[in-house]
Amino acid sequence: MSEARIRALTELDIDGLTRIDEAITGRYRPEVWEQRVVYYMRRDPDAPKVAEQDGKVVGFMLGEVRGGEFGLDEPTGWIEFFGVDPTTRGGGIGRRLTEALLAHFRERGAKIARTMVAARDEEIAKFLGAMGFTAAPLTALERPL
Amino acid sequence: MSDRAPLGGSETTKELPKAYHDAVLHWQRHEFPDYPRLAQDWEHYFPKDQPFCLCARIAQNVSDTIDVGDRTGQPKAMAPRDLEPEAAHQLLAIIRAQASTEFGSIQQHQATLYRANDPADQAWVLRVMAEELRHGYQMIHLLTSADWSPVTDQKPADMVEEILSMKTGSHVLAAFNLEYDSFVDNVVFCAVIDRVGKYQLTMQKVAAYKPFAASMPPMLREEAFHLATGVVPMRRWVEKAAEPSALVTMDQLQRALSKWFARGLEMFGDERGGETNVKLGLKDKTNRTAQEEYIAECEQMLDDLNVRYLRARYKDKDRNAVDAIYAGLKKERGRYVGVSWDEDLLKLPHRGFFRRRGELAFEPIGFDGARFEDVETYIAHVLVRLPEAYRASQDVKHWADTQRKVSRGEMTLKDAVRSMPRLAHVGGACPCANSVRWVVEEAAPTA
Repeated sequence: MSEARIRALTELDIDGLTRIDEAITGRYRPEVWEQRVVYYMRRDPDAPKVAEQDGKVVGFMLGEVRGGEFGLDEPTGWIEFFGVDPTTRGGGIGRRLTEALLAHFRERGAKIARTMVAARDEEIAKFLGAMGFTAAPLTALERPL
Repeated sequence: MSDRAPLGGSETTKELPKAYHDAVLHWQRHEFPDYPRLAQDWEHYFPKDQPFCLCARIAQNVSDTIDVGDRTGQPKAMAPRDLEPEAAHQLLAIIRAQASTEFGSIQQHQATLYRANDPADQAWVLRVMAEELRHGYQMIHLLTSADWSPVTDQKPADMVEEILSMKTGSHVLAAFNLEYDSFVDNVVFCAVIDRVGKYQLTMQKVAAYKPFAASMPPMLREEAFHLATGVVPMRRWVEKAAEPSALVTMDQLQRALSKWFARGLEMFGDERGGETNVKLGLKDKTNRTAQEEYIAECEQMLDDLNVRYLRARYKDKDRNAVDAIYAGLKKERGRYVGVSWDEDLLKLPHRGFFRRRGELAFEPIGFDGARFEDVETYIAHVLVRLPEAYRASQDVKHWADTQRKVSRGEMTLKDAVRSMPRLAHVGGACPCANSVRWVVEEAAPTA
């Protein structure tokens, strides 16, 4: 098995993302990933990254630089969607995807990266902690409508 | 700071001098009347995206030294006179051809834009058209912002005039001289022909002429959306094609692929060529290398679409089961519970199928790569695989007549290749009654 190559996401990766999502969640949601991929394709296609190994997408990390959200005026690199094929975890793919996306954020002028993690996703929180992310002085709030 | 996506990296934008800017807008009013609708629909379909800008966008982080060819490591040229004469000559031809494709595709898209059955698909194509207009604008910027006199006697205004005067049928490349038959063509064109555009722009990123190289990254970023505008509607269509009431069938998509794929292959230039452009530092791949990568990418696209179709056909089966069915169908070219490889799935034509240029021009090679002995059998084989409306076109008639003559030895291959639509040297073709040119110089101020 060759080493995974990190590259920019393309429109031909939609099925690869759908596969990983399906492997993780058990749900087949191609239309969801089409919508998400097109969003990035039309805004900053160089930002989202995938890991490709032996011609197969084994990981992805989607995000972009935005400013002005939640009163945070400075350009912020937002990490929004992230997944690694369960059969290839532990090989450093997540780390390499994160490094590639953060490098892109820096190129786009961002000085800070932000993301949100569900409280139940301890594994992801642990991974992001290992990547240098710390708790932000913001609290996510919600209420049913 | 707004929450709109920032311009990619460090970029500057430039507007053309008024005479050229007005010429492009004048052209747009005639050839792209739907353009104003984009601004009206933008917030609905592209919320929070940077507003569209009709301007030249120049990347700032481009290498100062030549990346490929005989002059690798030397400083990139900042003006045409700094290039070797052969490189400057070649580059001028590339820029003109690129401009022709940008304006040409808008003319093609416009004709069937209103036939879209989904308003979102239509809005996406409308944005693609506007971005092609911007790409054409970018090429005009390259032609008019530098002194090309070392390689041409033509004045910048006349070069622009020539480009804006081209119509479907008189463009430089054959792919831009075919009319669309339906909105299926708008979408398949984005997936197949814009994909060639992506390859060309990527290869040109290394160009030894820095202003040209710096034009590529912003265009490439927009091209990514153009490819999605092809692939994503096709993905949705193939899913619906698994239902009996499908508006767009697999057969229609297959025919459109058969119409466009050969023209896409020919956009790379003759398979035996391209070394000169690499040697001159204008591109980093030969024609054959780039074309082979393109073919592999198209194969991947069709695998993706076929699997999406099969998932919709076999809703009760999981991912692994469908993958296994598809692998079996593809390997055996056979059938599986109601699905036929030949009749139901999308296939890439052989690279020799329906060719008019390049190493396989007018070779009687069938869809699967088989060689035909009898020309009439070959023509019938090609016709039956093309969209019905396209079969009745002048373009197909011209191809069939030429194929007959070549196969019977009544026409040389060289003449046959030349007989295809070529650059029309047309001047002063504005259809306005009160003007004879697109580019109108401002009157000199009077004392």
